[in-house]
Amino acid sequence: MRQAGSYSGILISGKTGPHLLPLARIKKIMKKSGDGVKMISGESPIVFSKACEMFIKELTQRSWMVTMQGKRRTLNKEDVASAVMATDLFDFLLNLVSEMDTSKSS
Amino acid sequence: MAENVAASGSNDDDGIREQDQLLPIANVGRIMKQVLPPNAKISKEAKETMQECVSEFISFVTSEASDKCRKERRKTVNGDDVCSALAALGFDDYAAPLRRYLNRYRELGGDNKAANQDKANNNSNSNEDKLEEQSSLKFRMIGSSKNSSMRPFD
Repeated sequence: MRQAGSYSGILISGKTGPHLLPLARIKKIMKKSGDGVKMISGESPIVFSKACEMFIKELTQRSWMVTMQGKRRTLNKEDVASAVMATDLFDFLLNLVSEMDTSKSS
Repeated sequence: MAENVAASGSNDDDGIREQDQLLPIANVGRIMKQVLPPNAKISKEAKETMQECVSEFISFVTSEASDKCRKERRKTVNGDDVCSALAALGFDDYAAPLRRYLNRYRELGGDNKAANQDKANNNSNSNEDKLEEQSSLKFRMIGSSKNSSMRPFD
């Protein structure tokens, strides 16, 4: 079973390398994090680009485990919510997933 | 007399920020696919949920990094701060490889300042050499199976 974990090698090409996520958008999100965030170095969105990639992969893998438990092949948002609830590391997302799922209908 | 008149931008809930910036759903979906079997499907709502989770993740970590900067009376959040914040919040698995990534990025010239300094010192070749060498590094995921269409970018 694949596990999210440390990567053995990191791809670098050029100074910033190809990124899967738009750096400018990341920077905008960072700026909206709070009043205290004033200036952001150029390298921060780059680090975040990789961090977000890792985060998405980990949450996706955990969600997929829930999907499989339900013997389904389509990963749905409840699976993501379940994965969040089952993982201490993702406690910061609890409000988000519980607020999104306001109309619980099975 | 204390009437609470909602001024512009009233936020009555702490949880959901309506105009949150999100990362593009296509990019998010693509990354999700990388860790799923080829016949797996992802509902649109799941991708949307993931978008929101990522934005929340960025905010969460940035707040932590920004707090640290404020305590240390620094104005700029840099890559080290992001790495430290990740470690502080429990994302140790991310912090270590990201620090290496960041160090390599800096070695290669990082923000243009360093590269310009090197040029001034006639060291521009060393950066280019390093770039050549680094671009042949392969990106490997432990245990990755089918989806490994990872190639070094030229």
